[in-house]
Amino acid sequence: MASYQEASHSEPAKMEQIITEFFAKGLHIILESRCPYVSSRNYSCEQVLSSPSPSSSSSSSSSFWPRDKWFNLSLRDCPAALENIDLWRQSNLEPMIIDVILVQRPVNNDQIISSSKSGHARNFSGKERVYYSSDNEEFGSDTKREKIIERWVLQYESKRSGVSSGSKRSTCYSHILFNKLILLMRSLYATVRLLPAYKLFRDLNSSAQIRRYNLGHRVSSFVEPFTRIEEADMQRFVFTPVDTSCGRLCLSVLYHSSVLDVSSEPSTPISPQVIQEYVGSPLAEPLRKFSSRPMSQMSPASAPFGRRHSWGYDLYRASSPLLNPSPSPTYSESYASVSKQRSRLPPASLPRQLSENTPAIHVKNPSFDEYWPSPTFTPSPSASPPIYIPGSHVSNVLLRSESAPVSIPISSRAGISSLPNNQMLPPSPPMKATRSSVVKTDARSGLYKTSSTADKLLSFEKDEVGRMSRVESSSNISPPKSFSRSSSRFSYQDDYDDSEFSGPFVVDDDDMTDLGTRPGSFDQPGHPSGSREKGSLFPVRKSQHAAVGTLVQMLKKAPSLHQDISVTSNLLQGSKHEMPKNSNQDPDEISSTPREQQSTSVNFASSGLVSPKTTAGALEELCEYKEMKNSMLKQGKSPQA
Amino acid sequence: MNCEVCQLNELEVEHFEIREVLRCILHTILFHRALGLVRPKDVDLELFEITYVQCGDVEVERKIDEKIDQFIDRVEKHPKKKNQICLSFYEVKNKQATWFTNKVEHLYWEQWYINLNVMQHPKTPSGKSHHSKLVVDPGVEAGGARRVALEASLRDVLFQIIKFVNEKKDHVPSIPNLEGFLFPYEITISRFCIQDGYVQEDAPDTSSIDAQLIIIALKFTLLLSPCREVKYVALCLKVNMIKPTVCKLELYSIVETEG
Repeated sequence: MASYQEASHSEPAKMEQIITEFFAKGLHIILESRCPYVSSRNYSCEQVLSSPSPSSSSSSSSSFWPRDKWFNLSLRDCPAALENIDLWRQSNLEPMIIDVILVQRPVNNDQIISSSKSGHARNFSGKERVYYSSDNEEFGSDTKREKIIERWVLQYESKRSGVSSGSKRSTCYSHILFNKLILLMRSLYATVRLLPAYKLFRDLNSSAQIRRYNLGHRVSSFVEPFTRIEEADMQRFVFTPVDTSCGRLCLSVLYHSSVLDVSSEPSTPISPQVIQEYVGSPLAEPLRKFSSRPMSQMSPASAPFGRRHSWGYDLYRASSPLLNPSPSPTYSESYASVSKQRSRLPPASLPRQLSENTPAIHVKNPSFDEYWPSPTFTPSPSASPPIYIPGSHVSNVLLRSESAPVSIPISSRAGISSLPNNQMLPPSPPMKATRSSVVKTDARSGLYKTSSTADKLLSFEKDEVGRMSRVESSSNISPPKSFSRSSSRFSYQDDYDDSEFSGPFVVDDDDMTDLGTRPGSFDQPGHPSGSREKGSLFPVRKSQHAAVGTLVQMLKKAPSLHQDISVTSNLLQGSKHEMPKNSNQDPDEISSTPREQQSTSVNFASSGLVSPKTTAGALEELCEYKEMKNSMLKQGKSPQA
Repeated sequence: MNCEVCQLNELEVEHFEIREVLRCILHTILFHRALGLVRPKDVDLELFEITYVQCGDVEVERKIDEKIDQFIDRVEKHPKKKNQICLSFYEVKNKQATWFTNKVEHLYWEQWYINLNVMQHPKTPSGKSHHSKLVVDPGVEAGGARRVALEASLRDVLFQIIKFVNEKKDHVPSIPNLEGFLFPYEITISRFCIQDGYVQEDAPDTSSIDAQLIIIALKFTLLLSPCREVKYVALCLKVNMIKPTVCKLELYSIVETEG
């Protein structure tokens, strides 16, 4: 059989290649977990491009297996391994000895160690290279201490008796050898992570602190053996040799178990200024100003409610006064507009500001969650520590700040530890866009429900009322509908206690699901409020009771409707010509008689502007209501037809 | 093919440590048995300074977490018992219904027994007085020392796995060249230690090869002389926690008494 003969002839070649790749893979696994680097991404990209060797590339091309997938173990690139393995391709008979060297610099040496490329090689011999990070060279050989903390030995022990090539048995032997080496490489991969030196490697890779030590490695064929004293301090782990057709592959390691003492030595922490780089410039300060006040005003009596937020004060009769009534000019403006509702504005405004920048809010206000009662809510009086919030987690931060009233498990999984709860701070008119972005962001992160309270609070603000009216008008053309919505909104109050929050504030499940599946993608600040027009004003989930209570109180304290109607009428008049478009946009709208609705809405608006002062006027208004009712009934029947 | 059995060292853990310890051990074992092309995933334990490796298969991770949840439920229901998890690898053979069984036959070629001794709550009276004392002892130092000891023990268990994998390779079936290939496995939970040799009341309905052979013999015997005792023994033998030698002795005695 030609194919069998071809296989039998290539079997020795396969065996030889397997053995060669054993060295390469072993070296790769070891150095990958012992060579510090700045970042795996940069390291791999730069080094691979800069130091490919012709022999390695040619050998990889001749290999019947992709380099990184040998022994079914796909690893990231390790240029240090690539540079060294070329030497061993010449002959597999010489052992490969990998020394992992701990380099310690003196205490008085203040040079910064940057875990950098290991491309600084010094040739000791034909097959021996020492690799250190470039910083070690700067230290000078006199000042640094080197200690071999691990010595890995990979070698191929050949048997004197040869093996017959072309035999049927050898055809399968390479496959068996390959499978056994798969197991060996798995074990090696797990072992390198269990040895003490791995911790040093991880510490060096973390950029949190400047270390006074570094890891280097040396790959050689001949080394001076350890003295008995040195070896007595070391432990040995020997992997079971794998037999080949004419030898066996051996792998063992001598390692120090006391290297962890080095990592526990004092190191220079990085200046906190690094964290401050992420602080948003304009954003951080107003928030800090605001947050500083609550701390001073907090009293022990209100400890269960922790953070002194004005909205909470209104609702829960906290003894402390409103905190920071005017943290910003914008906040004070909106604050004056709605007297009772100003307390609820802070959380809404906060998100916008946060979304614009990435603040590192340094406030120790307790969790927002404390202040919002809900049946399932458990107050957490612990203050949130000042924690840096990276930009990518801004939305999470926003959500956390908005999630105060709700004890939602999802919020706990959202990486909350970095939440500065002080962020629900100053409300401002710009918060309109903020809120929409917050809503969108919240939904995406799956914490949509947590922002329900803030949304509700905001919705009753004067500007928000107009906005909502605008939304309602766009989604539901007729004032009667808006009226019915508002009336239904009031009627919902009774339902909140028992049933799920429904009505114009319900978020579509699809929206929730879709948005929830993208927790990592956060919307840009200032996102238009398009998502709100779909009725997703108030995400409804678990904060029903809290939301209900809030809504009830806000509704009770809401300004008179005639203001809404006046705005509504203006909007209606403005959007009079846009009715068809709006009706098309909202599938829930009854688009059969938009003109009729329009006319009645205008009438309604106009009539609403002037409250009937006489009985006749009241009767006229009543007739109009009847007409509206009839028209609505007709519209209700028409889609059924 | 022989079924290699590895009894891992017993670990004394607290309730909140169960999940991490089991994840670490189970994933380490499965990483050594997911012999198709994998992209290993390093995972750092939160409670210990140990990094273990996962094979990167989401389904495996889900299944392990599911079993751990079951184990924790079991521990909560039976807090005074030693607990054991068995991770078994098998080959599927003889899918056709036979005279003896209609089930798909699983030939187990490797079994790992993870032994956990979950420490009791200090208030709960426990037979393991020395453990309860360790828990009741005031101060963080005792807990810290226990944690350090557990970390060392866990590391030893991981090395035990690595050594076992290295020393015994011949019994592993051939590895198909499939990306992400993982030998068929199952995870079973038991409350009793196999070394005791007692009948496991709620042991899984699986049996080792020896037990299967004995079941076959018993069923054949039932045809000849049906009796309740023999049926009972046959039922017990379906549980793989009973040592085959015990089964055989019982079988012989039952057969002798029944004539």
